[in-house]
Amino acid sequence: MEQILEQMPIVIEALNVGFLQTLKLFFVTLVGAFPLGLIIAFGSMSHFRPLSYFCKFLVWIIRGTPLMIQLLIIYYFPGLVLHNPIWGGGESGRFLAASFSFILNYACYFSEIYRGGIQGVPIGQEEAGLVLGMTKSQIFFKVTLLQMIKRIVPPMSNEIITLVKDTSLARIIALQEIIWAGQAFMKGSHGISGAIWPLFFTAVYYLIFNGILTLLLGRLEKKLDYFR
Amino acid sequence: MKKLIVFMLTLTMALSLAACGNSAGSGEKDDSASDTASESDIAYVKEKGTLVVGITDFAPMDYKDGNDEWIGFDADMAKAFAESIGVDVEFVEIDWDNKIMELDGKTIDCVWNGMTLTDEVTSAMECSNAYCNNAQVVVVPSDVADKYQDVDSLSDLTFAVEAGSAGEKEISALDLEYTAVKAQADALMEVAAGTSDAAVIDSLMAAAMVGDGTGYEDLTYTCGLNSEEYGVGFRKGSDFAEELNKFFKESYADGSMEECAEKYGVQAAIIEQ
Repeated sequence: MEQILEQMPIVIEALNVGFLQTLKLFFVTLVGAFPLGLIIAFGSMSHFRPLSYFCKFLVWIIRGTPLMIQLLIIYYFPGLVLHNPIWGGGESGRFLAASFSFILNYACYFSEIYRGGIQGVPIGQEEAGLVLGMTKSQIFFKVTLLQMIKRIVPPMSNEIITLVKDTSLARIIALQEIIWAGQAFMKGSHGISGAIWPLFFTAVYYLIFNGILTLLLGRLEKKLDYFR
Repeated sequence: MKKLIVFMLTLTMALSLAACGNSAGSGEKDDSASDTASESDIAYVKEKGTLVVGITDFAPMDYKDGNDEWIGFDADMAKAFAESIGVDVEFVEIDWDNKIMELDGKTIDCVWNGMTLTDEVTSAMECSNAYCNNAQVVVVPSDVADKYQDVDSLSDLTFAVEAGSAGEKEISALDLEYTAVKAQADALMEVAAGTSDAAVIDSLMAAAMVGDGTGYEDLTYTCGLNSEEYGVGFRKGSDFAEELNKFFKESYADGSMEECAEKYGVQAAIIEQ
């Protein structure tokens, strides 16, 4: 116990650095995947068959394979097979490749949630809009969008909280997020070696951050309550 | 028929999109660099100006000092080597399981991290001459260490060893019961947690990590199972291995290698070049 207290400040500092990387990946993924998901959702609902088949094919590939494999393929494939390591070996390259993989992966999941939200709005509303002489885009932005947002908040909250924890998968391409930082103390890092507790302690970070997210998303859900 | 056409169209679209992605990502400079690499690895590294060294946090070979700077016997030698060929050096922490992929994918240029020269390593990489001696040792809880001082006494123990490590090879050669775990540090955790009776790890690592004043005070190491040597790995066919051998010879001859080894307490283990 005494030893743990002694190590605490050093460990916390290292874990903070790792968690910053986790948070960076989390926010970059959300910012990229929100709009890309919408594009894929429209693509798969498109009446232009090749486009909708393509989007459904993409969603099948991405949802049908583990994110860990996607990370490995996206990071190593360009160098191994095309002999052109586009990401580079440094930490920024690893982060870029991880962001790309996460955005693509989460956009596919989001697209299905969006599709559910959009198609859940009764068709009668669209018909009413057409009768009133509104254009398709007017109908989407003024009638459908806000109702869709209200409907998708609970399933999106689920995905967002899963994303916080999924970021730990990026350690497979040596992105130094918080689990990596915690595990480093087992082997020896910052002059501490053989410490097991920092790895388990990382769970506290996830718990607190997810607690905050849950509160915020709950509040958002309440705010959108007036739609019923 | 219509469906078939749609399927074909989708496929071409998917493929062309993938092709777009590649050409968009690759600058012209990268292309020319990868072309020269097939001829000379040294020329490739000189052109980009940085030798990217793949490492793990592994005292006393590669680890960080208080200022976040990579130091250690291997790190210091790598810095000196890069200087001698006139390039910068960049240390990148990698997942040890992926070291061959990292090399072949050119995300790193060499593995310089107390790497044991096993058949697997030498067949997949262009390796330098051995520069340091090492052994695989058995780690057990201190209170039972007396019973396990030689190889014959190990038969009733269950072991934890790093998957793909030299330790795993030794244990399976002895036909002992073992669990393969992800890293040497995980193997130590298994013993500390009591889920395995003993672990097999590198002697240099054991010296630094178990016993009094370390994180594993209740553990100790007993008998050695083999002796082995460390080398530096480059891409298969690289001309770097030859160049590094020359550098090793020079630095051994002028005493700078031994000086560096003394700084990290591994002078007894270095090999004459």
